[in-house]
Amino acid sequence: MNTPSRTFFRLDYGGKLERAIARLMAGFDENDFDAGRYPRRWLAIKLLEADADILSRVQEMPNGAQVIALAGQNAEYLKSMLGDEVDLLTADRRYGYINGVVRQALQRPLIDRITLTDRIDDIVTHKWLGLPFFFAIMYVIFRLVIDVSAPFLDWTDMVINGPVAHLFSFLLDLAAAPAWMHFLVVEGIVAGVGGVLVFVPGLLILYFFLALLEDSGYMSRAAFVMDRFMRIVGLHGKSFIPMILGFGCAVPAIYATRTIASRRDRILTALLVPLMSCSARLPVYVVFGLAFFGARAGTVIWAMYALGILVAMLAGMVFTRTILKPDVSSAFVLELPPYRQPALKSVLIHMWENTREFVRKAGTTILFASLVMWLLLNLPWGVDHQRDSYFGKVSGMIAPAFAPLGFGNWQTSGALVTGFMAKEIVVSTMSQVYLRGEEVQSTAPLSFGAEVLNMGGGFVTAAIDSGRILLSILPGVDLVPADQAPDDTALSLALQTQFTPLSALSMLVFVLLYVPCAATLGAIKHEFGTSWALTSAVYQTAVAWLAAFLIFQGGRLLGFG
Amino acid sequence: MELPETTQLHLLQPGQRGTIIRIHGQSALRRRFAEMGIIKGETILIERNAPLGDPVEYFIKGYHLALRKEEAAQIEVALKKDSNG
Repeated sequence: MNTPSRTFFRLDYGGKLERAIARLMAGFDENDFDAGRYPRRWLAIKLLEADADILSRVQEMPNGAQVIALAGQNAEYLKSMLGDEVDLLTADRRYGYINGVVRQALQRPLIDRITLTDRIDDIVTHKWLGLPFFFAIMYVIFRLVIDVSAPFLDWTDMVINGPVAHLFSFLLDLAAAPAWMHFLVVEGIVAGVGGVLVFVPGLLILYFFLALLEDSGYMSRAAFVMDRFMRIVGLHGKSFIPMILGFGCAVPAIYATRTIASRRDRILTALLVPLMSCSARLPVYVVFGLAFFGARAGTVIWAMYALGILVAMLAGMVFTRTILKPDVSSAFVLELPPYRQPALKSVLIHMWENTREFVRKAGTTILFASLVMWLLLNLPWGVDHQRDSYFGKVSGMIAPAFAPLGFGNWQTSGALVTGFMAKEIVVSTMSQVYLRGEEVQSTAPLSFGAEVLNMGGGFVTAAIDSGRILLSILPGVDLVPADQAPDDTALSLALQTQFTPLSALSMLVFVLLYVPCAATLGAIKHEFGTSWALTSAVYQTAVAWLAAFLIFQGGRLLGFG
Repeated sequence: MELPETTQLHLLQPGQRGTIIRIHGQSALRRRFAEMGIIKGETILIERNAPLGDPVEYFIKGYHLALRKEEAAQIEVALKKDSNG
């Protein structure tokens, strides 16, 4: 029954406390209570300290309730005698002991040195310089994660859809696989895997910088500087970084919440991040903006970003008062550690492990979603028009739900459904369904050898491009040619027959706010579980519907459209 | 035991030093404080306010710690005479 006696170090908590511990341990036996796998003395101390986790565990054990009651009486008695809660008394004794040991073992210089850390902090947490410095760091990281990874992203996309797809195609031909399997593997699975891998370059860069910020010690200064601002929404200072990243892509942003210690704060941040208008939504704004708002397109696009932030603030306030009330774990008790030079090896390990985990866990969700989408688009087997596929049927079925928002046709609801895979697809689906004469242009197939050469050359080009973008982050350097304005005139004309400016605005608001894309939900599920992913999907869709409804119906009442 | 005049930690100004007399608030918060070395008898130095005025950086037990004023208000301190301000 008894654990074998070893000579453990045992801290003397002093007369009254020690007597209470002894009484409680005697009480274990009197109540036939078996401490099980817990050391008896340790358990007695934890019960006197009223440790919430231990109390709930002991409550489950046989005769646990009596023992807890006994511990409660003893704790009350100690409090009345010593004037403090037991957990504070024990902490006192422990620190007293530590101080004694430290005094014997460590000599400190008499005068406080002004350390390098103090001097850095004088700048980065300075009353006037602190915020500009923080925003400068954020700007650089944002540009690096989003822009510098873009050429590599295109390269990954090219490799998957080019050489890799062709290789599989070739192998399947060798095996004389039936056409449907060929189609499934190349257009379903390979493309789906590609959809996962395109996130990898950005994530690698993101994790590199997050590890750098964290390991150097700046991350806690960032939280220190931004905390007052984020608290308005019920968040922690550290939530700011994920929010900013959300303007690029919500997937790395969700993973960036890992730097936040409290689970409640992490979840709230992850629920709000998808409301930051990500770069995938921009093409939708641009196409609709140019088609319906002409010179005012810029204002409309700007308003979308502002609306996203506004809705996030409101949602944050609502969540803070309902399902995500602040608890003690969100208390801002934050160490500001001395600055250290990050170890390259640890930064690289961090970067690699986190990215690998994304591919494994969130990747499966993304792959599954893209396979389902592919099947919906291609079944029943042999459909040649999207309207007749299951996808078209489903779109037609849900279309009436969008009627009060001003866009109740199957084409739009279909585009919104495909937008679940990635929001920028809304535009390409619309061009497919509205301009179905347009043929997908196919380039002449290259030999495999030429493709491999292309792949290598493409990587070099990507590296050069991202190097250029890297340099252009410096003020005054501009090596990146401006993008040509998208020439979507045919789509514009088609859209103008289907939408009014008012229903177009309602549509944009809906695209801004509705269900996060499959990859984002995959990330939320991976980090916080299925129920939070569902919460995210449901609340955003509800908010989107409501907002678009108010805009469309409100606009009509006011006589627009 | 002498009873020094006490005040709440968040009312001290940067540069001032105080001795922790008592810690109020919920027990989970007080345990959190205790874990970070915020206990009776420790000396705490107010270092600086964040750019937006809150939280505040403190120096205690040889390390730097940031607390929101809301939470610092739970810590009762006696102002040390040798500190300026």
